[in-house]
Amino acid sequence: MTDTAVRPRLRSLLTATAVTLTMLLAGAAACEPENTAPKTVDDLFKKTDVYGQPKIKIGVAEDQPLMGQIVNGRFEGFDIEIARYLAESLGFKGDSRIEWVPLQTEDRENALVSGQVNLVVASYSMTPDREKEIDFAGPYFATKQELLIRSSDRDKIRNLNDLAQPGRETCVVGGSTGERQFTDRALKVYPAATNRECLDRLLSGKSHAYSTDETILAGYLSEHPKDLFIVDVPIGANERLGVGVSKQDPELRDLVAFFLRKSYDNGRTTGTSPWLAAYRRTLGPWLGDDTTQPPIEAPDLVDYDEKAQKP
Amino acid sequence: MTESGEPGPQPQPPRKISAWRAGQGFWTVAVGVPAVFSVMRLWIEAGGELQTTLLLVANVGPVNLLAALFTTATRLVTTGLVAVFALGAVLAVSTGDWTRRRPLFARWYIMAPPWFLAGLFTIALATWQIIYLPLLVVASVAVFQRELTLLDWPRWRWTATVAAALAGYGWLVAPTVLQAWRTGELFAVALLVVPPVLALCVSGPLPRLLVRPAAALAQPGIAVVLLVAAVPVVMIPVLPMTVTTVATAAGVPEEVRGHVISTDDVNTVILQERGGVRFIDNDDIQARVLCPTAEELVRYRLWVRDFHVEDSLLGALGRRVRPMAPVSAVCRIPT
Repeated sequence: MTDTAVRPRLRSLLTATAVTLTMLLAGAAACEPENTAPKTVDDLFKKTDVYGQPKIKIGVAEDQPLMGQIVNGRFEGFDIEIARYLAESLGFKGDSRIEWVPLQTEDRENALVSGQVNLVVASYSMTPDREKEIDFAGPYFATKQELLIRSSDRDKIRNLNDLAQPGRETCVVGGSTGERQFTDRALKVYPAATNRECLDRLLSGKSHAYSTDETILAGYLSEHPKDLFIVDVPIGANERLGVGVSKQDPELRDLVAFFLRKSYDNGRTTGTSPWLAAYRRTLGPWLGDDTTQPPIEAPDLVDYDEKAQKP
Repeated sequence: MTESGEPGPQPQPPRKISAWRAGQGFWTVAVGVPAVFSVMRLWIEAGGELQTTLLLVANVGPVNLLAALFTTATRLVTTGLVAVFALGAVLAVSTGDWTRRRPLFARWYIMAPPWFLAGLFTIALATWQIIYLPLLVVASVAVFQRELTLLDWPRWRWTATVAAALAGYGWLVAPTVLQAWRTGELFAVALLVVPPVLALCVSGPLPRLLVRPAAALAQPGIAVVLLVAAVPVVMIPVLPMTVTTVATAAGVPEEVRGHVISTDDVNTVILQERGGVRFIDNDDIQARVLCPTAEELVRYRLWVRDFHVEDSLLGALGRRVRPMAPVSAVCRIPT
C-alpha cells in the first residue's frame, strides 16, 4: 500500500475519532450530574433550626459597655454588631427580625441547650469544659485578661505582686475563666455575681482591682475614663471569644463559622469587613487600632458571590 | 486543515450565495424558535394559569421579552447553531463527491455566508462559559477548515503556528488545569486539555462507511440534545427575581419573593415565586432588592487568569467593571 493511500485513510479515521470524542465530551458536559457540585450556603441553611423562623433568637449581655449593652432601649456594642452581621448574613436583616435575649454569664449554656436561644454572642470564652456541652464557632476575638484599677492607685498597683499585699482584694465574676488565675496565685478575690457589681465595688473602694477580659474592662473605662485605668499585665493565656451554638444544630455552627471566616477574608483582602467596622465603632478607640480578627477554621461553602471572589 | 497546504482530498463545493431559497427552513427555525420560546416561557412563568399568562402578555413588551430571551437563551441558540454547522462542515467535506442530494446540515453549511458564521462564533465566544470555549475551538476548526485550506500555507508555517497556539493555550490554562487536578475535578481537566488535541484532528472527511450513519443520526441527535437543553432555558424566568419588603398591620414587615410584573401610580404587581399574583399598595412598600436564583450558583471553583470558568467572557469583563456582587440578606428568606 502506498503512502498516498494510507494517509487519507488515517486522516479520515482521526477525523472520525475527533468528531466522536468532541460529541461525547459535549454530551457529558450537558448531562453533568448535580450531585458532584460543592456544598452551598443555601443547602446548609435549609437544614438549620432557624430556617423559616420569623426571628432569630440571640443571647447577649446587657451590662457590658462596648460589648453588649442597652442604650436608649437599643442594644449596642461589639458583640451586638457581630450578632447583627451574622443574623443579616442568615437572612434576618434588621432588629425587627432579631429577638435579643439578655443572658447572665452563668445562664449561657442552659439557654443554648434548652433552645431558648439559637446563638450566644456575649463575650463567650471558648473553653474545653463548655465545648462538652455546646458548640462554638470562632474565635471571632482574642482577648486577654487584664486589671482595672482606680486612677488614683496607678502608682500603687503596677503588677499582680502589688495585689498580694495584705488587705488588697480583687473582684472577679464568679464562674468566669479569670477567677482561677487569682486563686491559683493565692490572691484574695471577691467573687461577684455580675460585672456591674465588681465595677461598683472598685469605684466605691471596697475592691482594689477588678480583673476580667480587656474587652469588658475597656467598656467600663469608656464610662469612667478619668476615674479608672487599665494595667497592662499578662494574666493567663489569651481568651478566645466564640459564638455559642447548640450541639443540636451543627449546620448553624458551620454557617456562623463560614460568615465569620468571610469577614476575616474580606478584611485581609480589602481592608474593610463587618468585623473591622464593628471594632472601629466600639472597642477600637479604647483598645487601639492594631487588633485584627483572628483566623478561623470554617467549612468551604459556595455562595452567590463566588464568581466575584478572586482565587 | 490540510497541513501540507495542498488542496483537500475532496473537491470543495463553492458557496452558493444565491441559495437563500434553499435556506428558508433554516431562517424559519432561526426566527421562529425564539418567538415560540418566548410564548412558552411566559406560559411557564405564569405557573400555567391562563389569567396570569394574559397579565404577563399584557405587561411584558415584545422588545423586553426578546432582550431577556437573548440574554438567557443566547448560549442555547449559539450552541445549537455551532453544532449544526460543525457537523454540517464535516459532512460537507465528507460528501464532496456525492452526486445525489447532500445531508441537510451539509446544505445549510454550504449556503451559510461566511459573515454569518463569523458572527455566530464571535457571539458564542463572548457568551459561552469559559470552560466550554475549548470545545468551540474544535468546532471552529471544523467549520472554517475550508478557509484555512485556502490560506495555502507551507507545512513549516502550519507547524509553527499550531505550536505557538498550543504553547499560548498551555500558558493560559496550565494553572487552572493544575488546580482542577489537585481538587479532583477530572471532568474539568478533560474539558480544558482534550479539545485542543481534538482540534488538530477534526478537519478532513469522515471514513466513507461512516458518512451515511453520521448524516442519518446528526439531525435527530442534535434535535434531541437541543430539546433536552431547552428545558432549563424555557424554565429560566424572563423577569428579574426580587424580594419586596411590605409593611403589615401587625408591625412585623412581610417579605414577598417574586417577579415584578408592573408598577403604576397605585399598585405594584408581583408574580410570587410560589405562585399567584399580588397587588401591593405602593405606600406599603418599604424596600425591594434584587436576588440571585439557585441556577446562578457555581459548579466549579476554578479561575482562568482571574476569570471564573463558569463566567462568559462578557460576564467576566463585566465583573471587572463592577467587581462586587453583594447578596442581600432577605434573599435567603424562604417563600
